[in-house]
Amino acid sequence: MAEPPAWPAVTLALAAALLFQTTLGPAFALRGAVVSWILLLVIWYGFRTGWGRGLFFGLIAGACEDALSPLTAPAWTFATALIGAAAGRAGSTFVAESRAWLVPFVVVATLLRYAVFGLIMHLERRPLGESFHTVLWQSALDGLVALALMLVFPQLRGRYAADS
Amino acid sequence: MIAAASIALVQLEAAKSGKPSIITVGVASTAAAFQFAVSGAAGGVRAAFGSIADVPHLYAQTRRLAERNQALARANAALREQLARVPDREAVDRAAFFEPNGIIASAIGYDPENQSRVVTLDVGSHAGVRPGAGVIDEDGVVGRVIEAEPFSSKVLLVTDLESKVPAVVQRGRWWGIATGTNSRIALQYVSQDAKLRVGDVVVTGEGRSFHAGYTLGTIRAIYHPEGALYQTALLEPAVAFGRLGNVIVLPHI
Repeated sequence: MAEPPAWPAVTLALAAALLFQTTLGPAFALRGAVVSWILLLVIWYGFRTGWGRGLFFGLIAGACEDALSPLTAPAWTFATALIGAAAGRAGSTFVAESRAWLVPFVVVATLLRYAVFGLIMHLERRPLGESFHTVLWQSALDGLVALALMLVFPQLRGRYAADS
Repeated sequence: MIAAASIALVQLEAAKSGKPSIITVGVASTAAAFQFAVSGAAGGVRAAFGSIADVPHLYAQTRRLAERNQALARANAALREQLARVPDREAVDRAAFFEPNGIIASAIGYDPENQSRVVTLDVGSHAGVRPGAGVIDEDGVVGRVIEAEPFSSKVLLVTDLESKVPAVVQRGRWWGIATGTNSRIALQYVSQDAKLRVGDVVVTGEGRSFHAGYTLGTIRAIYHPEGALYQTALLEPAVAFGRLGNVIVLPHI
């Protein structure tokens, strides 16, 4: 079973993800969709630490995103927190055992996160800036990047990951 | 003897009167013609010899000039490259000339999930930026400040869905509201009487963030819904948001 990641490393990773997404991320957009490195980090942390810490870390990460995007508060906070909790819960199931389940989980998590985000924005009477088509592209990108990371860094797989 | 004496007498007579004699005029004119021909030929020969003698010098000079030309061409290319890297600074300096109280800023960040059309500038309330201030660059309207922290501020781009700016069609002075569509700008609530044309330039009207006259964009398409009170035009933004660099934050009105 993998050790929970140290909080300084996770903090640094979150800062790096935020910095990358707010500066260079748009340059790598595909059909208007950008890879959500913050979401990938939250999912990974949730898998490693469980639903409680996943929820808390998702809350922090989402709050940082809302701080950098003035028109979305508090949508990303709640949406990312929910995904962190879901990842923590899924980390103790078969989902964390192989890439065949992890990648679809990432895709579904992206869509689910956006659905929660959209719901909160709707309640706040704010327009959504992305079309569903763009969100689909983002979920595909997130899944691809997650697969690539797991291929390059096999140690990233979740707490109950079995050897392939 | 008689001919010689006659010539001598004519010359003496001419000398006494101070005017050239007919013999002098004739001889001088004839000689001048020959002299002109000979000097011309001599000059040509001299020039030819001179050119032949100059060939090595000319060759060296041509080579030097060619090398200098190449060096200048390389320097020119390097300067163009430098200019291409930072044209927006020069461009915004030109715009700043007309806005001496504006604050020059750079776009340093974007929305993390690309959800809204918001950019972060590297100046904030410490530099005098206030929420509601308009932001422009050399090409036209960029957006308006919606948040000002001490050392940074956030600008809602004019293409964002929540952006609304009073606008005027420059040609006929027809009013409308410029609303963002995520990638372009829609000019809404334009009277059906307005004779809009593709290519018309749309500028800001007098408002809270902008004075009148800043370029928003150019009409690309016009929509006349049947039975509607208003028509709508789709604008191509004047500003290239894909390569936003230096901008000017206008003094708050």
